[in-house]
Amino acid sequence: MTDRHHVLGLFTDDSRAAAATDRLRQSPWQLQKVFSPVPSRKLTDALKLERSRAGYFTLCGGIIGFISGFSLAIFTATRWNLIVGGKPIVALIPFFIVGFECTILFAVIGNIIGMLALTGLPRYDNLRYYDPRCSGSHFGILASCDADGLEGLTGFFQQQGAEVKVFD
Amino acid sequence: MMNNSVSSEMTYAKIDQTVLDTLSPATRPYWITIALLLLGILLGAACWLYQIFVGIGVGGQNNPVAWGTYLINFVFWVGIAHSGTLISAILHLFRAGWRNPIARAAETMTVFAVCTAGLFPFIHLGRVWVVYYMLPYPNQRGLWPNFLSPLVFDLIAISTYLTVSSLFWYTGMLPDLATVRDRAEGLRKKIFTVLSLGWTGEHEHWRHFSRIYLFFAALATPLVISVHSVVSWDFALGIVPGWHSTIFAPYFVAGAIHSGLAMVLTLMIPLRRIFHYENIITLSVLENVAKTIILTGLIVAFSYATEYFLAWYSHNIVELETFRWRAVGDYSLQFWIMVICNTVIPLLFFFKKIRTSLAWLFGISIIVNIGMWFERFVIIVGSVAHDFIPHAWGLYTPTAIELGILLGSFCLFFFLFILFVKHLPSVSMTEIKETAFAGENHDG
Repeated sequence: MTDRHHVLGLFTDDSRAAAATDRLRQSPWQLQKVFSPVPSRKLTDALKLERSRAGYFTLCGGIIGFISGFSLAIFTATRWNLIVGGKPIVALIPFFIVGFECTILFAVIGNIIGMLALTGLPRYDNLRYYDPRCSGSHFGILASCDADGLEGLTGFFQQQGAEVKVFD
Repeated sequence: MMNNSVSSEMTYAKIDQTVLDTLSPATRPYWITIALLLLGILLGAACWLYQIFVGIGVGGQNNPVAWGTYLINFVFWVGIAHSGTLISAILHLFRAGWRNPIARAAETMTVFAVCTAGLFPFIHLGRVWVVYYMLPYPNQRGLWPNFLSPLVFDLIAISTYLTVSSLFWYTGMLPDLATVRDRAEGLRKKIFTVLSLGWTGEHEHWRHFSRIYLFFAALATPLVISVHSVVSWDFALGIVPGWHSTIFAPYFVAGAIHSGLAMVLTLMIPLRRIFHYENIITLSVLENVAKTIILTGLIVAFSYATEYFLAWYSHNIVELETFRWRAVGDYSLQFWIMVICNTVIPLLFFFKKIRTSLAWLFGISIIVNIGMWFERFVIIVGSVAHDFIPHAWGLYTPTAIELGILLGSFCLFFFLFILFVKHLPSVSMTEIKETAFAGENHDG
């Protein structure tokens, strides 16, 4: 992998970045990443990205939360079996509130776990092939090629109207 | 296509620059303000410490008014917290672009207001060192919390709300933390590198982030409604006249949003002026907040009227007496402050000239906040002071200790907020960019 070269094409708008992404996907060069300061529908379409599966983590968290909250309330109530306020020992309506709050809490925790698991964050070694302008006003396309293809890839980005940055 | 909530002069670079300029080293007036607020916090802390050593009797709570300023403050601050989530979550789901310039500050307001609110049950508890009795864990005492109690619902709801709103706030800030990291140097760069978790804005980051942010908003929306409903049940599940009402949940939620929106204006107007956010937090954004205040004010007015209607329609003499006494009794001044400040004065926003004047917006926002504090006074104190049996009636006046703690809570809230605006991006650069432009050249 040491002879691979990474080239970043920097665009000032997402339309041109999306067009370049589309063309790059059909080229022999390898598209690595697309950076953008904002989520862009045009880039998502160009990359043909599927919908994130983070929701499954959220759903699992919510189900675990509901069962945990309800079970906790039932468990504690059955420790003494004391009638309070004329309600049954296992009072479903009040316990639903506990279950509801725990559903939201655990679903959100599941949401966060989902994001961290799927994005691989936190990660501090991924700034090597990155340009700080990508968090400001530029859209970056990172592609890699072998030594023979470097000139062609650089030329491709220039042809698309990008500012080119070659990483060692 | 420019969104009219952001000035047409703004480009991506200018948006970044405007927000990043706010993080420049603070000037002397800033530190003087911080020092004064810290002094207020210390005063409040000293009052609380005094109460811990001497006993809860240093407050004005008595028989029959066992719930005083501490719980008024608790409900007030929870209410303030609500509009942050309304703006960041509910308006996000409705795709209301005008909320973007104020969403971050409103979310921050939520987090700090819940932190402030969360202190008051501890303060009200008196013997704060036994607070762990509320936690459900196996213990030698064989005690478990009573999950039938609305106070335990409240503990769960508020702690969930604090956790969710803090995570929502931090997660939403990740792209902006990366922007600051990429433009910082030295120690600040190191701190923001850690805080931004290595965010680069690559397509996989955005793919999952956009999805989870949507879920966050979808989960926070029912949560925010449930939290103030649960707070209202602290009262409504009691049989006290003036409390025992089924309209309390929507009534409290509307009131909470009303006060929270007013606090948004109170915070945004100086923030806009001091940090030169005029091109980002435009007048039309503030105008939209004012229009929403008209709506919430009318809902609150309808709730006040419904309470009177229900008392009259019930033919219940205790209810009738409670509501008669509210309007003409010992706390009638507080009652009329509540009515005028919350329902009459916000109607001035119907006039375009008033809702587009910063002075009027700021003034009315403070008036609504005062009115909403008194609403909680009228509900909490006014009901228990004058319930079923005439010989058990009594009055309540806050003591200097309680007022000291009240002052301390305001100082704590503003202290945290002012620290935030100078050290973290107080406007979401990403969201402003996202909705302000579509397919234009963004390089400025």
